[in-house]
Amino acid sequence: MRKVGVLITITCLLSAMALGSHAEGLDNSDSSEYLIKAGFIYNFAKLVEWPTTAFAQPDSPIVIGILGNDPFGATLDRIVADKKINGRGIAVKRIKWSKDFKDLKDCNILFVSSSENEHIDTVVDAIKWLPILTIGDAPGFARRGGIMNFTLEDNKVRFEVNVEAAKHADLTISSRLLTLARIVQQTAADARKPE
Amino acid sequence: MNLKNLSIKRKLMLITMLTSGVAVVLSSAGFLIYDLTSFRHSLSQDLMTQAEIIGYNSAAAMAFKDEAAATVTLSALQAKEDIVSAVLYTRDGKIFAQYVHANAPRPGLPAPPQARGYRFAGNYLEVFQDVTLNGEPVGTLFLQSDMRQWTSRAKRYAIIFLGFVLISGFFALLVSSKLQKLISGPILHLEDTMRMVSATKSYEVRATKFYGDEIGRLIDGFNTMLSEIQQRDMALHHANDELKTRTLELEGEIVHRKEMQKELLNAKLAAEDANRAKSAFLANMSHELRTPLNAIIGYSEMLEEETHELGKVENVKDLQKIQGAGKHLLALINDVLDLSKIEAGRMGLHLETFDISQMIEEMVTTLHPAISKNSNTIRVHEAKKLGVMRADITKVRQILFNLLSNASKFTDHGTISVDVDRSTEEGHDWIRFRVADTGIGISAKQKGNLFQEFTQADVSIARKYGGTGLGLAISYRYVRLMKGRISVESEPGQGSVFTVHLPANVTTELPEAAQTGRASDHQAAPMEMKSNMDTILVIDDDSAVRDLMTRFLTRLGFQVVATASGEEGLRLAKQINPLVVTLDVIMPDCDGWAVLNKLKADPELAEIPVIMVTVVDNESMGFELGASHYLIKPVDRDRLAVLIEKHRAARSLAATRLESPSKKRSGGWKGTAAKHNGKTAVPVK
Repeated sequence: MRKVGVLITITCLLSAMALGSHAEGLDNSDSSEYLIKAGFIYNFAKLVEWPTTAFAQPDSPIVIGILGNDPFGATLDRIVADKKINGRGIAVKRIKWSKDFKDLKDCNILFVSSSENEHIDTVVDAIKWLPILTIGDAPGFARRGGIMNFTLEDNKVRFEVNVEAAKHADLTISSRLLTLARIVQQTAADARKPE
Repeated sequence: MNLKNLSIKRKLMLITMLTSGVAVVLSSAGFLIYDLTSFRHSLSQDLMTQAEIIGYNSAAAMAFKDEAAATVTLSALQAKEDIVSAVLYTRDGKIFAQYVHANAPRPGLPAPPQARGYRFAGNYLEVFQDVTLNGEPVGTLFLQSDMRQWTSRAKRYAIIFLGFVLISGFFALLVSSKLQKLISGPILHLEDTMRMVSATKSYEVRATKFYGDEIGRLIDGFNTMLSEIQQRDMALHHANDELKTRTLELEGEIVHRKEMQKELLNAKLAAEDANRAKSAFLANMSHELRTPLNAIIGYSEMLEEETHELGKVENVKDLQKIQGAGKHLLALINDVLDLSKIEAGRMGLHLETFDISQMIEEMVTTLHPAISKNSNTIRVHEAKKLGVMRADITKVRQILFNLLSNASKFTDHGTISVDVDRSTEEGHDWIRFRVADTGIGISAKQKGNLFQEFTQADVSIARKYGGTGLGLAISYRYVRLMKGRISVESEPGQGSVFTVHLPANVTTELPEAAQTGRASDHQAAPMEMKSNMDTILVIDDDSAVRDLMTRFLTRLGFQVVATASGEEGLRLAKQINPLVVTLDVIMPDCDGWAVLNKLKADPELAEIPVIMVTVVDNESMGFELGASHYLIKPVDRDRLAVLIEKHRAARSLAATRLESPSKKRSGGWKGTAAKHNGKTAVPVK
């Protein structure tokens, strides 16, 4: 099922690339959902401030980690290639689930793929005090302690922010981002899961 | 055109108004333009800022494709009244979100986003602003403002400007209407004054000077001109008056002159009358004086001869004195008559050709007694080839006679020299007579009036030397008459030198008739043998003359028939056919001219020579009528004798030719008088 989705996505991306403007024009259509999400992730990086301790050096790249199955394919890599935010380059890193969370701690942004839904709480708990912007692919991620997650409203990609979690992570999210987001509270586990 | 004819007052106001108006409008407009421009600029800047803010605020929405959020952001522009529309374009030019002000008409939105910046399109100010997120463009914002602030500001300014111009114009009008009088006032005054002057012609008026500016100077100049004109006017009037006075004076003068002229004319007429009377008197007197003198001289000569023959020597001297006195008186009368004739211009010239040497010889011979009287010697020097000259020999003789007798008179134990030569000047031959003496001489002062009548060098001279004092005056006039010249060089005590230049060929304006008449007469040479060889007919009304002539001619061996009447004379002439007829002119019944005429008209008598013996000095008349000789009383008996002897000799030779005319005609009483003087010595006191 997932593989089929990925395949479809890849197919779509390929066709989009082949067709050029046609693919770009379909912003929020299903086929380009991850394209949009990839752009969103890149834009999030612009509107979020990390504490200086989060980076080893002033020009250390912002590292985007993708935990679990990568739904973006080459899209995200392509988007962030040669881009710089506040003097920092962007690196994309694919991470497999493991118990020690070692790879997770090197990230500045961690996209938690839908394939890792069962590990969400674990991951959130493990890094909730670290300056890592955690982004979930599905609704409820923020309510479960993550900082942001994507949602789909009227077939459009929107997102939710858990301001409290961001504070815990010592991340400053721009008000410009917040005005566009739906602010959510951490609730008791899975309070709003069905949606 | 009307503008140019405006009064100075209006012009000045107009100029002021226009100037201030231009200044106000220009400065205000400048300010307004500056203000509105800068306001527009600030508006555009404001809009740009606005666009930046909106762009910033909508950047995230655009980045996250949140049209709703973007629309909300744009809706915030509702507070801005002037922004009529706002559009957000995506990077590929599609409209992402838009906003249109509720009250605004929906303007046509620019479809493709354009270059960043602002521009003015019509009444709208438009801004394109890139929307960036963290430096990365995410779209373009378009804002459109209707600049209502600017428009309302411009409107407000327009109203203020209009009001300002009106108010300032009003005040400028007020001020200029007051101030223009500074300039127009004096000019109007000057114009008034000028008009008044030209209307009334009264130049006493003066324009008032208000200020010391150019107009003031103009007024000064005008006043100066006026006073100048006034002065000239007065001077003109004055001159006019003076002219009138002068004219009146002149008129008076003219009237006076005319009267004077009339008087002068009258005086002249009277003088002419008097002169005529004088001439007539002189003519009469000469006749009346000579007639008794004839008797005195003639009888005294006769008596002298008779007394001499009777041996009464003591009486001879007395008779000689009577004779001398008579002759002196005669000379005086003759000189006076000559002068008056010359003065009257009635003295003619009887030109003839004669031998100069012969004439000089005769003169010297005649004057010898007078020269030797004062123990003087005479020396004559003649140039070779003197030849003949044509002149009035009588007058030449008298000139020389006067000079020589003067020389001998004023020289004692001295030498009198006569030099004669001929020279050529300017193609004409001249004869020069030079008479020098070693006598008392003449002072320079005396020389001046030497040739004036009745002037002797000194009054005392007349007493000492005698003379009429007319000799030089007559000589001078004779010389002039013959177009010659006379001069004198003298030093007192050193003697005198008189020089006479006469043309060798004297010409005259007188007709030649007199001479030709004479000539024809002289050529009537052949004489008829039938005449009575020894009988002389004397026709004279004066019994004394008849008596004297009879006695004298009888003594010479002639028979004399005398008659007092012309008619009788003619009859006798026919009867006796005389050798010669002597004829008087002035006779009671038939005058001498008539008798002569009849004699010459009668073929029988025409050949008889007629010798005129008269006091009437009209030689030319006599010769014209056919007289052979003309003697003036008192008669020089020697000359008469010579003439008659010539005729007897000629007759006796029976048809022989007469002698040369010059010799035969050398006659006239002057020559005679000279000879008498020579013979009887100059009368001495």
